[in-house]
Amino acid sequence: MGWVRVAAVAESGRRSWHSVGYLAHCTATMTDHVIDVEGLTHRYGTVVALSDLTLTVPPGVTGLVGANGAGKTTLLRILLGLLHPTAGQVGVLGHDVRTEPLTVRGRVGYMPEAGCLPADQTAADFVAYTAELAGLPPKEARRRSSETLYLVGLEEERFRYIGDFSTGMRQRVKLAQAIVHDPALVLLDEPASGLDPEGREQMLALIRRLGSFGIDVVVSTHVLTDIEQTCEWVVMLDGGHLVRSGPLTGFETSGTVTVEILGDAGAVVRTLQARGVPVAVDGSTLAVGPGGDDLFDAIRDAAADAGVGILRMGRGVASLEDEFLARAGDGAP
Amino acid sequence: MTDGVIYDRGYRPYDGTRRGRNGPRLAVVKDGVRRILGLRRKARRKILPWTLITIALVAAAVFIGLHFAAGSIAAGLAEGLPRYGELFDFYSRIALLFIAVTGPELLAPDRTQGVLSVYFSRPLTVDDYLAGKAVAYLAVAGSIYVVPQMALHFGLASLSDRGFLTYLADNLDVLWKVPAVAFGYLLIHGAVVGVLSAYVKRPGLAAAAFLGLLIAGGGIAAELSRSELPAARWLSLLAFDDHPRILRDWAFGIDTQTFAAEQAGFDPWVSLVVVAAVTVVGAAWIRWRYRRLA
Repeated sequence: MGWVRVAAVAESGRRSWHSVGYLAHCTATMTDHVIDVEGLTHRYGTVVALSDLTLTVPPGVTGLVGANGAGKTTLLRILLGLLHPTAGQVGVLGHDVRTEPLTVRGRVGYMPEAGCLPADQTAADFVAYTAELAGLPPKEARRRSSETLYLVGLEEERFRYIGDFSTGMRQRVKLAQAIVHDPALVLLDEPASGLDPEGREQMLALIRRLGSFGIDVVVSTHVLTDIEQTCEWVVMLDGGHLVRSGPLTGFETSGTVTVEILGDAGAVVRTLQARGVPVAVDGSTLAVGPGGDDLFDAIRDAAADAGVGILRMGRGVASLEDEFLARAGDGAP
Repeated sequence: MTDGVIYDRGYRPYDGTRRGRNGPRLAVVKDGVRRILGLRRKARRKILPWTLITIALVAAAVFIGLHFAAGSIAAGLAEGLPRYGELFDFYSRIALLFIAVTGPELLAPDRTQGVLSVYFSRPLTVDDYLAGKAVAYLAVAGSIYVVPQMALHFGLASLSDRGFLTYLADNLDVLWKVPAVAFGYLLIHGAVVGVLSAYVKRPGLAAAAFLGLLIAGGGIAAELSRSELPAARWLSLLAFDDHPRILRDWAFGIDTQTFAAEQAGFDPWVSLVVVAAVTVVGAAWIRWRYRRLA
């Protein structure tokens, strides 16, 4: 089953890639995704790293979240064409990574999690070299190297040897080499790893800025708050399974409802529990759910039956962590 | 109107030209040459390679001077001085040290420092990377052999009583024999140092292993080949450093019969096969290793 790139259109400052379709379906369905994954499975021997993953990633800043060993780095390496999937189809920027890995890598930047910097080269030389490896002419590579190191805040230090750099400065060099060749998509593997709180905040700010420059970003991390601060879309993995792929804004619709009861809260709790609705009690405040909008009706009915008043009622905003903890282990998208 | 000050230049997309696959390939070659010579590296990285290059060039000047001085003293005296074939022994020892020092630097740091994960995230294949490194190695290490020999060749031509052009015309074979023999040295040494560099973490350790394998290992293989062990003569083929020297003798018509493989009765073409086999096996081994690392 092959992929066909239907069109690549740059519009509104953001390089959106339209689109990918399956030839086997005989129709090229127009999509607006930077990454299309269909039935992706990858095994290391008998160990299943990714299991039947199907997801799409839209333009913008996307978080790839999961515990250590969830399959994040494996997925990133497959997206770069460095690993060949055991089964399934993977399209990046409209190209099949299996048949066009070099085309994909020419358009994608990658920031590995592990140490990947030569200690005996200056930051300017190394970043310029990586730009040349992406096909930029030497003169342009030097110019882009200086500009990019300026952008990540290493203008003054760019002629120092990387071996003399702090962890935060090394992370910035890693980010600089990932964007020096002006990629359409950047894959960042644990970009804030090893940074102190201030360095972490600066790195997250840089990542947010990449999105504003029109570069699509996939940030892999196991730190959920990083995702909440930087991303518009989130892909959750757990044990190689897709837990969720969707916008960050949709979480509150599946969260709990917080109710403050005026009167005997115990009666309301008993009524709700009798109807199979989970309730957590904190004095006169109840956390009901999680569930959909029918929770409001159930709470109203329970309060009416118990003869108590409702002082305040509203949707509790679930955090990404709540969502992940609630859904991890289910293995269902 | 007041002057504006730009505090943040922001991000500028790149709309310029992008070279095809040859751009990354050429970049690997350039970086390899720089790494071998220690260019754009700390000063201590330059000391050993440039010392050895200087020794090779100074030696070429000294040999030309000796030929000039001998020719001035008495006609025919210069005939006894070492020339192309004989000088290979001298230059091959300098080159052996040069390869031991710089060969591991070409491959090992990229692997041990994890830089391969960045390089192979670019439109660069393992074959492109290894070919670029090989070209850099052949170009720089080859010049240790070829440049001094060619300097000597043209120096001798300028000293010749028969005239510069006549000397060159009479010795045209030197122009292919020197590079061809040098290629034999470079192939077998490059294959050995390449395999070691693909596994050993520290370049210094790889250099020691390389010298130990070729010098001590060759000596042991030669001794064992003279023992009473069954099929002992075949062990002489493991004295890898002897084979390019046998090829040199073959090419320049020198008959020393001092090498283990010769003493064991093997013809020079067997050495040619050994050089080719070690090169092919070494290249395949390195390629297999790097495909797993990519």
